[in-house]
Amino acid sequence: MQTIKLRLKDEVSGGVGGVARVPVEADSLTPDKLAGKSEAEIKAVKVWWGNREEKTGDLFEVSVEGEEGEGEGEEAAASADEVKVVFEGDLSRVKHIGDGMKAGEIEANGDVDMHCGAMMQGGKITVRGNADCWAGREMKGGELVIEGDAGANLCAMYRGEMTGMTGGKVVVGGNADECAGQYMAGGEILIKGNAGMLAGLNMQGGKITIEGDAVMPGADMTGGEITVKGKVLDRMPSFRLVETTVGEDGGEYKKYIGDLAMTERKAKGVLFVK
Amino acid sequence: MAEGGVSKMAEGELLIKNGVVFDPINGVKGEKKEICIRDGKVVAELKSPNVKVIDAEGRVVMPGGVDIHSHIAGGKVNSGRLFRPEDGRKGVAVRTKVCRVQSGYSVPNTFATGYRYAKMGYTFVMEAAMPPLAARHTHEELVDIPILDNAALPLIDNNWMTMDYVKTGDTDLLAAYVAWIMKATKGFGVKIVNPGGTEAWGWGKNCGLTDAVPTFDVTPAEIIKGLAEANERFEMPHSIHVHTNMLGHPGNFEVTKATYDLVKGVKTAKDRQVIHTTHTQFHSYGGTNWGDFVSKADAISDYINQNEHATIDIGSVILGDTTTMTADGPMEYSLHQLTGRKWTNHDVELETGSGITPFLYSGKVSVHTIQWAIGQELALLVKDPWKVALTTDHPNAGPFIGYPILISMLMSKKRRDEAAEEMHSAIFKRAALPSIDREYDLNEIAIITRGMTAKALGLHEHGKGHLGVGADADVAIYDISPEERDAGKIQKAFLNTKYTIKGGEVVVKDGEVVATPAGKTYFVTPECDEGLTEEMLVKLKDKFEHYYSVNFNNYPVQDAYVPNPYEIKASWSG
Repeated sequence: MQTIKLRLKDEVSGGVGGVARVPVEADSLTPDKLAGKSEAEIKAVKVWWGNREEKTGDLFEVSVEGEEGEGEGEEAAASADEVKVVFEGDLSRVKHIGDGMKAGEIEANGDVDMHCGAMMQGGKITVRGNADCWAGREMKGGELVIEGDAGANLCAMYRGEMTGMTGGKVVVGGNADECAGQYMAGGEILIKGNAGMLAGLNMQGGKITIEGDAVMPGADMTGGEITVKGKVLDRMPSFRLVETTVGEDGGEYKKYIGDLAMTERKAKGVLFVK
Repeated sequence: MAEGGVSKMAEGELLIKNGVVFDPINGVKGEKKEICIRDGKVVAELKSPNVKVIDAEGRVVMPGGVDIHSHIAGGKVNSGRLFRPEDGRKGVAVRTKVCRVQSGYSVPNTFATGYRYAKMGYTFVMEAAMPPLAARHTHEELVDIPILDNAALPLIDNNWMTMDYVKTGDTDLLAAYVAWIMKATKGFGVKIVNPGGTEAWGWGKNCGLTDAVPTFDVTPAEIIKGLAEANERFEMPHSIHVHTNMLGHPGNFEVTKATYDLVKGVKTAKDRQVIHTTHTQFHSYGGTNWGDFVSKADAISDYINQNEHATIDIGSVILGDTTTMTADGPMEYSLHQLTGRKWTNHDVELETGSGITPFLYSGKVSVHTIQWAIGQELALLVKDPWKVALTTDHPNAGPFIGYPILISMLMSKKRRDEAAEEMHSAIFKRAALPSIDREYDLNEIAIITRGMTAKALGLHEHGKGHLGVGADADVAIYDISPEERDAGKIQKAFLNTKYTIKGGEVVVKDGEVVATPAGKTYFVTPECDEGLTEEMLVKLKDKFEHYYSVNFNNYPVQDAYVPNPYEIKASWSG
């Protein structure tokens, strides 16, 4: 097991003198891309900082602990499972953490900026704080755990696309903002707090569980399953009550199908409300 | 402004030696010959002994490509970009020392448009639909497109002035209006898109060729004939450029043929076609509905083969996702109804309109497969390549970046057969493509991508589409030998040139853009009798006073919007 620690330097994260803080884009710092690299090689990996391409070593303090991964190319990818990347420092302007990652583990200690875990295919990301918008966007596989709150468009599609998350598992410890799981087609989302407006908007497949309250969940959904254990505010009138069932937790749930606004034929979504 | 600032011809001398040249306008069919370039023009011989030399080493050399019909600038192209962020994310490339940031696939940004065309060896592109009211915007975008020389065709057919004059039969006054529009918009020629149909769309309707346009009491047939005659009042370099009625409707091939017949007797002011019909693939449909839909490319090709007054471009389909956009508003609405995908619509007061919707051409869908076949059938069944141009009606049937695929298909029966095997079986029952053996050679490819297009646009008289002495030094050097038969290698070579030379300057080398000079904008100034113009202006000013939301004096595009002008005067021919 190898642990790569990347601490964002204060002069990069600090908004000194009221200057707008320029975001760092960390999609080149995934375990699969760093596997097999030495400390010196990691420091040389290119990272976008605003519109400039910089070296990782110039933006982060880099330290590597444990055995180095071996081999290159295919072999390195295989050893990515043995790599853990730990981000530290003020990460609130670090975007695309774990974007496109295939394997291994990422731990982000603090609040992270947008697109964390976007296009993720495998491995695990743990955010020990809040994640800004678009976390898990178009995620295909792997596991994303956000201990705090998630911003809007959690696991949604990119603007204009018609497919959001297709696989993997996401857990949000706190609340999720609006449009969680928009155009979701597969995978699972568990929101332990409340969901903002329109969770599961245009949902086609997969499963969303909301332990708190939700507002207008499942609008325009044509497939998939949403379970709300708290209150539903402004439930879409275009959902039809089918039956009352007992859920896995032993609680009583009302089962609705919808969204009938998408025509009777397409309304294959299921909404359970406790 | 495109990087590089003002357009200028590269100074100095350049020699391209050992290339195998295909220059169909000058009858050069794959001869090893030198091309001498001085100050941006092709010359007979060079003076200086120490000129810069490009050794083409037996590679294929052609004049710069000339695209006769593409949507690259203006209101609806930009709306397409805005409304398809998911297309924008494809083809993203960061800024380099030479190139600005690129994005998009079917609706690339202005920079990517210039770079990608140049990499394919194209140096001139015609923007095929400019709403006169949006001419300023169109020119602003043309200026922003690097490298390419360009021009734009103003839409004049669904225009209230035009329909009024067609109704009263005042062809001379209509000609005066056409002349005024060309000057006011810095336009190149007369564009006709679903004549009458787009105006009818304002009332929720569409028009067949002989249906009366609501409230105007004229028919599309009368509009087409009237504009064809008005166009020939001047020595216009280009004929009328027509998107015929009922685009995309099964059975519309009869409408297309009837449209050709309408203008058969019209006498031209120059030695060229009377009518150019564009994206003819969309207009060569048989059957009565999508269930019995068949290719009628054979019927259209027969007509073109038997008549001399009409030319076509194919508007061939590239499989995959694209963005359809046209001034044919009702057609876009029908398409949106068919797919359920997002749609936007726009009305241009008194003049035209437009619609946009994304579309996915799939080789697994019978209708798309037949459409895919029709475009190529047209190119293969029209015997004389001087009557047919290679286009995809970018981006309607597919993005221009698909041209190299089409070239490889036309050149290889084997490639077509392999592709057909992977597609819906309808291609074997309801299209002719699998039974066609013809293969294009490089000379014919040069004709349909530069020679024919330059001639049909009248640009061969202005140094485009050929490499004769005095021509613009726009040259494409493709990294294949003239004997190459491998379709994959042909496609690759036509996607990224070894060299593209524009106005004597190397702009692409080894498939990379190395310089981005600004292109020139070509426009036509018809010279109209002052008395006629005065009489026409009385009516036009009345239209502005009562109906337009802009002032007459604020309407014409100022010279400042065309910083690199190339004016072509068209004298009155009566």
